[in-house]
Amino acid sequence: MNKRIAPYYWMTVPAVILFFVFMTLPALQGIYYSFTNYNGFGKEYDFVGFKNYFNLFQDDNVGNAYWFTFKFAIVVTILTNILSLLIALGLNAKIKFRNFFRGIYFLPNILSVLIVGYIFNYLFSNVFPIWGQNLGINALSTNILGSESLAWIGIVIVAVWQSVALNTILYLAGLQTIPTTLYEASNLDGAGKWREFWSITFPLIAPFFTINMVLAMKNSLMVFDQIVALTNGGPGRATQSISHLIYTGGFEGGEYAYQSANSVIYFIVIAVISILQIRFLQRREMDL
Amino acid sequence: MMAVLLSSCTSGDSANGKVQIEFFQNKPEAKTTFDELIKTFNAEHDDIQVTQVNPPDAETVLKTRVVKNDIPDIMAMGATDTYSILAQSDIFTNLTDSSLLQTIDPNYIQMLKDLTGMDEVTGIPYATNANGIMYNKTLFKEMGLDVPKTWDELIATAQKIKDAGEIPFYFTYKDDWQTSLPFNALASNLVGIDFYQERRDNKVTFKEKYREVAEKQLELMKYGHGDNFGKAYSDGNRAFANGEAFMYIQGTWAISEIRKANPNIEIGFFPFPTGNDASKIKLVNGIDSLFTIAADTPNREQAETFIAFLLKPENIGRYIDEQTLFSAVEDVKQDDPAVQELMPYIEQGKVIDFPDHYIPAAVQLNSIVQSFLQNQNIDNYLDTLDKEWDKVANRR
Repeated sequence: MNKRIAPYYWMTVPAVILFFVFMTLPALQGIYYSFTNYNGFGKEYDFVGFKNYFNLFQDDNVGNAYWFTFKFAIVVTILTNILSLLIALGLNAKIKFRNFFRGIYFLPNILSVLIVGYIFNYLFSNVFPIWGQNLGINALSTNILGSESLAWIGIVIVAVWQSVALNTILYLAGLQTIPTTLYEASNLDGAGKWREFWSITFPLIAPFFTINMVLAMKNSLMVFDQIVALTNGGPGRATQSISHLIYTGGFEGGEYAYQSANSVIYFIVIAVISILQIRFLQRREMDL
Repeated sequence: MMAVLLSSCTSGDSANGKVQIEFFQNKPEAKTTFDELIKTFNAEHDDIQVTQVNPPDAETVLKTRVVKNDIPDIMAMGATDTYSILAQSDIFTNLTDSSLLQTIDPNYIQMLKDLTGMDEVTGIPYATNANGIMYNKTLFKEMGLDVPKTWDELIATAQKIKDAGEIPFYFTYKDDWQTSLPFNALASNLVGIDFYQERRDNKVTFKEKYREVAEKQLELMKYGHGDNFGKAYSDGNRAFANGEAFMYIQGTWAISEIRKANPNIEIGFFPFPTGNDASKIKLVNGIDSLFTIAADTPNREQAETFIAFLLKPENIGRYIDEQTLFSAVEDVKQDDPAVQELMPYIEQGKVIDFPDHYIPAAVQLNSIVQSFLQNQNIDNYLDTLDKEWDKVANRR
């Protein structure tokens, strides 16, 4: 073996083995169980063929969870990207205490989602309603997490608050790659700030836009911790995401096999969405 | 996922020549009490060392450990659907003829048999709890109110409190399991537990039998505070302790938490008056914890020694005192003043089990009830109960 190639094998082979043992194998096991009626424990189970998959499409709780998750993911992806791009532009400008602000804006990403969730939970139930009452705003004077129609907004707020941090850093990195000479040239040509953004900045950070959209979408499609900490899927099932449904149904409800089938379908859905997103957005990059 | 990580701490055998017994229990409130009892036990026994394991969300952790075949020697949990499923999966030792059951009230042993539908007994009932209406004695006295004995009296009392501009009930319906407390009291008294056997055989539906339960639960909602779905259990304990509300539909398990927030509060407790014939009302009284032994543990004898120790009157007496629960061991009395109004019901056996223990967990009763109380559509609610029940039954 070529001496120069050897280190690459040393690095990839263990990684492949680890990936197979901890990711691929459990996934295959999950697919296997999705064709049984296994309850997650106990020693006996039977093969039931496609019965679980058939039942999934009859179950409106599953439909409800998909609807909530997609609505949530789209709103979070859009808001996160708008806000983080704005913040990144601000942090890239020549302002005082620039590094200090960069650190502050990154903080939410370091904190644990669960802890952030519990803090916001307290704020939503005990602090914001009192503000709402004092200001005389009716919609704010009760806990929005307790309302079937508004609870999802509370989760969006927390999710965006936290995910903006990572996306801001990625956009900042993108902004650093743009050579300043381009701006100098556009300045000489008399371009305004707005024109500068659409014609130089945005096209040049297109690859970062792609990766941010895909990451934000994937993360919010898999939303779980925020929901556990804020509403636990409630009120009723109003904020039950797909991963939360898989967890509660599979482990608490003792329907391991049924929810395995759900997660197989969900895996396919997420993979398809991510691939489509990347293809669509990358084609846009090339056009420019 | 979190649960899987948490569960990875396991018990090994004899690090120091002693037999290691892992005692897994699901009540965070009881951790300190068990710690003290275990300390005494370990000091008395040179050859056995008991360790307590009490993770958050313990029932889920236990299920994931069962998957991995990493079953604790002794498990303590409530007599819930989880216990029932695990018992039917044969992971517990059969204790039907065990001497440990000799001092246990036979009513509770029967309750376990009804729950699992099995003839074998695999759990030893330990402590029981009750679900009813807690009230603030001081506030009741100030307004000159009597303890309501019937449904009409309950509503009249609540109306009087509301008219005075105070809060009759403190609802904590942000936590969905809180919505099942009035459900349990109403369903057990108005419909009964036999309903569930008949429902399993498809002889009745919720739609036929549960309308009154739904109507009465909805009626209560008129007497809450301004943000019934915005407050959680812990908010409610604090608010009730501070005298913000007159009544609190709750279980006896909350008493110790409320006293932590306000040690001077004078609490009273009465059974939920579900109908207008006071003599027919039964107290909802279920098994709060029971002990089981793993079927394949090599240390069955040592595990039984430890359980026998916990069942000694002085030890269970201490446990129920600190936890404000009732004893499943006969002739051990609960003398806490807060629950004295409930004692006659327990002593005369005028008790009935929690109905939600008979509903499969996959139905997710709590979130169905919570959703119903928000949109207040009774027909839709009863249809959902039937539909979810059938769906789960079909998937089994």
